[in-house]
Amino acid sequence: MNRIAIKMLLGDRAKYLSLVFGLAFAVLLITQQGSIFLGLMLRATGILQNIAQPDLWIADPHSEYIGDIRPLDDHDLYRVRSVPGIAWASPLFATRARVDLPDGRHKTAQLLGIDRSTLIGQPPLMLEGRLEDLRQPDAVIIEESSRSKLGGVGVGDVLKLNDQRAVIVGICRAKMGFESNATMYTTYNNALQFTPVGRERMSFILAKVKEGVPIQRVQDTINGMTDLAAFTHDGMSDRTINFILKETGIGINFGLTVALGFVVGLVISAATFYQFTLENLRHFAVLKAIGATTATLIRMVILQALVVGLIGYGIGVGIAGAFSLLGRKPGAELAVYFPWELMVGALASMILTVSAGSVLSLRRVITLEPAVVFK
Amino acid sequence: MTAAQTQTGGPPAIRLRNITKSFGKGRAAVHALRGIDMDVASNQLVMLVGPSGCGKTTLVSIISGVLDADTGTAEVFGVNWPDLSGAAKTKRRGELVGFVFQQFNLIPMLSVVENVAMPLLVRGEPMDRALDRAAAELNGVGLGDRVTARPAELSGGMQQRVAIARALVGRPRLLICDEPTANLDGHTGQHVMDLIKTASRGKAGDEKTDGRCVVVVTHDARIFHYADHIEEMEDGKLKSPSKVILEEARHVPHYDREANGETNGNGGATDKTK
Ligand SMILES: Nc1ncnc2c1ncn2[C@@H]1O[C@H](COP(=O)(O)OP(=O)(O)OP(=O)(O)O)[C@@H](O)[C@H]1O
Ligand SMILES: [Mg+2]
Repeated sequence: MNRIAIKMLLGDRAKYLSLVFGLAFAVLLITQQGSIFLGLMLRATGILQNIAQPDLWIADPHSEYIGDIRPLDDHDLYRVRSVPGIAWASPLFATRARVDLPDGRHKTAQLLGIDRSTLIGQPPLMLEGRLEDLRQPDAVIIEESSRSKLGGVGVGDVLKLNDQRAVIVGICRAKMGFESNATMYTTYNNALQFTPVGRERMSFILAKVKEGVPIQRVQDTINGMTDLAAFTHDGMSDRTINFILKETGIGINFGLTVALGFVVGLVISAATFYQFTLENLRHFAVLKAIGATTATLIRMVILQALVVGLIGYGIGVGIAGAFSLLGRKPGAELAVYFPWELMVGALASMILTVSAGSVLSLRRVITLEPAVVFK
Repeated sequence: MTAAQTQTGGPPAIRLRNITKSFGKGRAAVHALRGIDMDVASNQLVMLVGPSGCGKTTLVSIISGVLDADTGTAEVFGVNWPDLSGAAKTKRRGELVGFVFQQFNLIPMLSVVENVAMPLLVRGEPMDRALDRAAAELNGVGLGDRVTARPAELSGGMQQRVAIARALVGRPRLLICDEPTANLDGHTGQHVMDLIKTASRGKAGDEKTDGRCVVVVTHDARIFHYADHIEEMEDGKLKSPSKVILEEARHVPHYDREANGETNGNGGATDKTK
């Protein structure tokens, strides 16, 4: 009867296609919205995306998320370095700087100052130029998509950064932050030069824990010190995402949109499949009259649900995946993040919904009076 | 099972006692059947006639085990439907009863031969064997060359012949036909009734179909002459004695076709009508 169930499903091309496309659309809606939401949240973690070497990010305890920068003291760096179990600790300077364009306009850029000697916090990938050249005075490395934002500049060009002269020595690839400002790297020392303020400008201390020492223990030690809080990479990332979700309108607004897409998608799938079974109800009644048990009919409906659900899922995820490839292009403004968890989640919800659709259908099939065949 | 006691001349093929059936409740209730007693012997083609709404379909639904009576005994070849329920009843029905409906009720997404194989498939017979037997059965109704067609590609008469093949493929002892000719023109109707009449004789020596009994619900006076016996219904009851004169109905028993001798294609043996 399995073959018959499949044939009944595929036999009516038009109905089958509308069913599959209904489901594919639902899956597309779920994964697409979900991946954009996740992508945005990931973007919200800003510089965290690009810096993987440190075990701990040390910040002012009042800093609520990665973008909430409260300067630390040089002294804090020495305090962290003296914590038992710390292998190294480097300063990181994150700030905004004004770039004057030749045509008179200006842009805001994200400026990252990394430790001059160790270059910890360096861009993930150099495309042009040498990282070491960053040690030259006035040197900056800019992120590839920022070139056009800054008027199509290239290596060797000179920028006006907060009214100071800055020379582009390289182009790198790095993930953009929430605001997708132009992003540029320089050394910590240069950054201080570019920024006309006093000495208290260390934004974070990036620290590595010695091998064999539990990160948690070091973290606790630092948290026990006044005016310092240590976070792991994931801890800081969660803190940031939580902040965005709870404290900004993004969480509630976009969350609602995603939830709506999710619910609409699921309802469409369930309803589409229910409709399909309803249209076949008379055929099921005939089968019941001629001796198909309710258990057989249930098996047929579930098989049909699985087949159509998986095909619809495949198409939906395929299209959403193609979308996410667009978002993977360096510098793309589309924020898409498509982790396997999302695919599994979409599959689970697909199965859940189609099951819901089939449970509704099955209720009709189970209570089906075979006597309707005479009607 | 009950084979011994249901041989020709044994107890009746169908035995109904005090069957009642109502639809709805209270004032709105429709009393479709108001106490039916009926015996039908084996080897009979019985016609059930009467005005629209008198309860014919309700009665054959109960006889065939697709509908439960409110009260009474509904016994078919020794099986009392009220004693069975759920899967046991469904399976028993699948073995015992074949159906032919006014509106054919073929499954449009399936080929003709798959439709015919369905009663065997629901019993769990392997696909290729079921399809072989179905093809043989289609041969028996003269559609051996249309096995792969979809029902919609066939004429009404052809579709009803497919339905007859489907009804017979499982070798049921009871064949229930509700208005089998109502959607067909006169000539096609006669052809379909020829097939049903032939089927009513079962297959000689086949213990499963021996004593086969056929119930045909109809309005169509042109086919009355196929009946061995006619029961007339009125307002939920059987009229007795029947006013339909069997003698009159029976005076044209000319079976002038050649092609439809094979009623049970699965066995290979033919049962030529004279
Ligand atoms: N499922 C049902 N629900 C409510 N009333 C029903 C149902 N089935 C039949 N009836 C009613 O029971 C009565 C008998 O119906 P039935 O279909 O048995 O008549 P019938 O003799 O077959 O008529 P027809 O010649 O029009 O087919 C009718 O009044 C009908 O409206
Ligand atoms: Mg009727």
